Amino acid sequence: MRPPWGVPLGHGIAHGFTRSVGRAPRVPSRHCAARALASTVATASVALCAVAASHDHAAAQSYWVYVAAESEDEVALLRYDAGGDLVVEKTIITGWLRAEIEAPHGLAVDPAGEYWYLTLGHGFPNGRLVKYATGADTIAGVTDLGLFPATIAVPPHGAVALTVNANFHGDHVPSTVTIVDLETMFPIADVVTCTMPHGSRFNADGTKHYSACMMDNQLVEIDGATLQVTRRLDLLRNAPAHAPADGHMAMAPPGGVHCSPTWTTPHPDGRRVFVPCNKGDVILEIDLEQWRVTRRIEAPGAPYNLDLTPDGTKLLATLKGSAQLGIWDVETGRLLHTIDSLMRVTHGVIVTPDGRYAIVTVEGIGGDPGTVEVIEIASGTRVASAQIGKQAGGIALWKMEG
Amino acid sequence: MKTRRTLRPATLIAGTMALLATAGARTQLTAQEVARVVVSPATITLEVGGKATISATAYDADGNVVEVPFMYFSRDGRGKLAVDRTTGEIEAFKGGRFQVMARVLGPNRVSGTMDVEVAFPPIDRVEISEAGGRYYTGVTMRHKVTVFDQADDVRDVPVVWSTSDESVATVDRFGIFTAHGPGEVMLEAVADGVVGRISYQVADNPVAAMAVEASQTRGRTGDVIHFTAMPSDAGGAEVGDIPVIFSLIADPDEIATADIPPAEVDRMGRFVAYKPGVYTVMASVPGRAAHATVEILPRHVAEEVQLVGHAPVRNVSTSDLWVWEGSDGRDYAITGTHSGHGSTYWWDVTDPANPVLTDSLIVDARTTNDVKVSEDGTICVISREGASSRRNGIVIVDCRDPRNIEIISTYDDELTGGVHNLFIHDGHVYAVNNGIRFDVINIEDPANPHRVGRFELDTPGHAIHDIWIVDGIAYTSNWGDGVAIIDVGGGDRGGSPENPVLISRFRDIGGATHAAFPYRSPTGRFYIFMGDEIGAPAFDGQEDGRTPEFMDGYIHVVDFTDPENPEEVARYEIPEAGSHNMWIEDDRLYAAFYQGGLRVLDISGELKGNLYHQGREIAVYKAYDPDGVVANAPFTWGPQMHKGNLFFAEYFSGMWAVRLLPRRVLIP
Repeated sequence: MRPPWGVPLGHGIAHGFTRSVGRAPRVPSRHCAARALASTVATASVALCAVAASHDHAAAQSYWVYVAAESEDEVALLRYDAGGDLVVEKTIITGWLRAEIEAPHGLAVDPAGEYWYLTLGHGFPNGRLVKYATGADTIAGVTDLGLFPATIAVPPHGAVALTVNANFHGDHVPSTVTIVDLETMFPIADVVTCTMPHGSRFNADGTKHYSACMMDNQLVEIDGATLQVTRRLDLLRNAPAHAPADGHMAMAPPGGVHCSPTWTTPHPDGRRVFVPCNKGDVILEIDLEQWRVTRRIEAPGAPYNLDLTPDGTKLLATLKGSAQLGIWDVETGRLLHTIDSLMRVTHGVIVTPDGRYAIVTVEGIGGDPGTVEVIEIASGTRVASAQIGKQAGGIALWKMEG
Repeated sequence: MKTRRTLRPATLIAGTMALLATAGARTQLTAQEVARVVVSPATITLEVGGKATISATAYDADGNVVEVPFMYFSRDGRGKLAVDRTTGEIEAFKGGRFQVMARVLGPNRVSGTMDVEVAFPPIDRVEISEAGGRYYTGVTMRHKVTVFDQADDVRDVPVVWSTSDESVATVDRFGIFTAHGPGEVMLEAVADGVVGRISYQVADNPVAAMAVEASQTRGRTGDVIHFTAMPSDAGGAEVGDIPVIFSLIADPDEIATADIPPAEVDRMGRFVAYKPGVYTVMASVPGRAAHATVEILPRHVAEEVQLVGHAPVRNVSTSDLWVWEGSDGRDYAITGTHSGHGSTYWWDVTDPANPVLTDSLIVDARTTNDVKVSEDGTICVISREGASSRRNGIVIVDCRDPRNIEIISTYDDELTGGVHNLFIHDGHVYAVNNGIRFDVINIEDPANPHRVGRFELDTPGHAIHDIWIVDGIAYTSNWGDGVAIIDVGGGDRGGSPENPVLISRFRDIGGATHAAFPYRSPTGRFYIFMGDEIGAPAFDGQEDGRTPEFMDGYIHVVDFTDPENPEEVARYEIPEAGSHNMWIEDDRLYAAFYQGGLRVLDISGELKGNLYHQGREIAVYKAYDPDGVVANAPFTWGPQMHKGNLFFAEYFSGMWAVRLLPRRVLIP
């Protein structure tokens, strides 16, 4: 059952709805997110947060996350108290037309923790980026993007968002990354990258942005200062690549070898990026100086989203095909844990700023509820879970407190 | 104070770790943050086509320069001023005053601004709305003007109207042009020295007699009555080129304060009444007038609605439906589901009072929004959205025996964004790809579906939502692009499933076209009913399931009799709800209006004005189900008339069937 509508809110926005149900959020006693980069977890900012938080390990921590339910047009705000339950604090209704599914997909929270950002995949035809005030969860701005925008990346400075227009609508032609000024919510430019871009992430200091091309098997780097594409890597040939020609239809690679990269996660050391091959059951480590794949970490089960612990020692991947979370030792490439999910189709994963927990979204299939699971990283055990709307996907950390 | 430079990642991490080691570290970091940005020059003046480069400098609170990257852009210059986001180079395409912002790609979203003044280029031309020609003394008509500059920009500049001979004609500041005597006269509109002019040859008003005739003297509310004015000269010859002004003296039977206007007449003399009463239409030319009076009676079309049956679906929301006669002669229905678990239901509705669930199917999807059946009743096709594989597409089902349906095949190639609506026509599925186009999939061998064609508008930012096909002509609903009429084999443009050819397109007022239904009226007119889908605000703070959904928008009626000159002539707008899907049969529009329930509208005769106020509503039915997904919350999705029973899908409660019972009302 879909909850009822909300009222239009925000600054001069004629349409659009947000409504919250459930308990009001607690007033945070301390904003780790003021220093942390939500959603983009592997950052120096998060490292700061982790260091600060490490002094409090003995104390109970609370972690607040936003999770999008793509087939419910909802975003859930959840709180996990370390050692306790994962609680759905609030459900925020998204979208403009309650009779259409508008597919909330990507989520990000700005580094100051004041706003969260959401992509809506379906529009007329273009999707949107919606800006919400955290806590109040009221709309603060909106802008049009491209066809089916997916992942959002916000650099540590929080001035812009780069959203990949994944264009799941069909034609396998090069798409774009939209650069949005987050203060004015003005779409400054559409940068053509590749076919079905996904997995938009900044590196630790915001100087480089990475995204993957699911249909072109490329990794694309955008300079954080010029916001121009600086280089491309063909992940199959392991060689620099050219931009797909305009109008070019992406073709299946010869010999059945495929990668279909779905994510990018820069390592906090600034020297490498990890990219999962969703169709290759492998996670690639790309050396940024050499600009080539230097390691292949076996990851059976269709790796999809990635994250790293703030210290960069552990790599986590949702294994979409096998409905698991995998945890690897970055140094050795050894698989430390595989954790079965309660439902099928694992999707997103973030690591808490203190490195203790992974929070995983699980889409489910058909009428399954979306599921959010908390995994203790050290032991590789699930310690809490909660159900939300259908097709839980995008996830972003708002704050850690306690 | 130090200036901050771009740091390498490793440097940043090491540095920030060190900073955090002391309590004062963050203060030190903050102190280096940008406090203000100065963009230089502060103002700049360009000509159209001119270029310049601006630069920004960041300062901390102590006035030290901070080295940071900037991003340049102009919101109000969009489409008129190109700004290189990295270099700050500016190129002017249109005139105007624009603000350019330099945003620090750093914390706190600090920015600076400067102004660009682009001199408007000289005015290029002034275009007057009328063409000129023959005119008569005493005639008054408003003229409008559009001013373009040399950058082809429409300019809002003062316009001075004048005539070349005020003894022949004068014009006021609104462009209202009045002829006073015979002669040649030039009407001029001057903007910044550029003149637009048209020429009139004013002749004495030849009208010596005036008559007006109504196409009928008695009618009902909603009837369109044509008043024909017949100005003639002294010899009795018709003066056909003199403008006639129609006006109205209304005497409705009932008068209420601040009520809607009881009737209207347009410049073509087309009259329609909303209230019963006596109406006099005046037709006038300078110096002559005539009138004709008509009596308008109540329409008296209301009928009663009898509930026939209910096929409840109470665990998931219901989407579309299709009702058909099966190959065994029995009647069946198929219903889809929305935001659920990918289920579709088949029903035996031979006895619509007792619908029987015959079979169901769950596919990998959350929404099976559209369900359609082939003309011969053997193939059912289901649209998919929310598949876990994200491939979606369509599911082709053998439904010859609705008690034992079988999946024949699936098709999802390049339909991964989801199929929201579809139509089956002559061995082909026309699948709307939930975005920008429809694909044509041949299912003559349903086990081997394959794409044979596709169609996509070429308008900027085009989108598509729905498709309906009649006699080889497809009618697509395209949100802001309105309705598109496409030859897919039944038109005269050489179209085929393999090569759909656009015939015409019409954008209605408002531009939110969600569904379109063509109807060839017994009057000979060809209408397309175009339904909006617009969100509406509703309640806040209620618990889940306590309140229904709300929608807005209305149905636009477009007269497409002349496809080259379509005209939006009427609307059906109810105040409390928005439109969704439609069905038209035998001069009746069956319309789903979400929270406004199921509406039945008399669309006989010519259509004009707001049909809601004309007494054309035959019936309204709101399906209340206390055990629905949301209790007692009508939210009508789509209707279909079948063998005298009106079936309709209710979002919160499944499929219903009603029957209309004529009222025994005396009609004068």
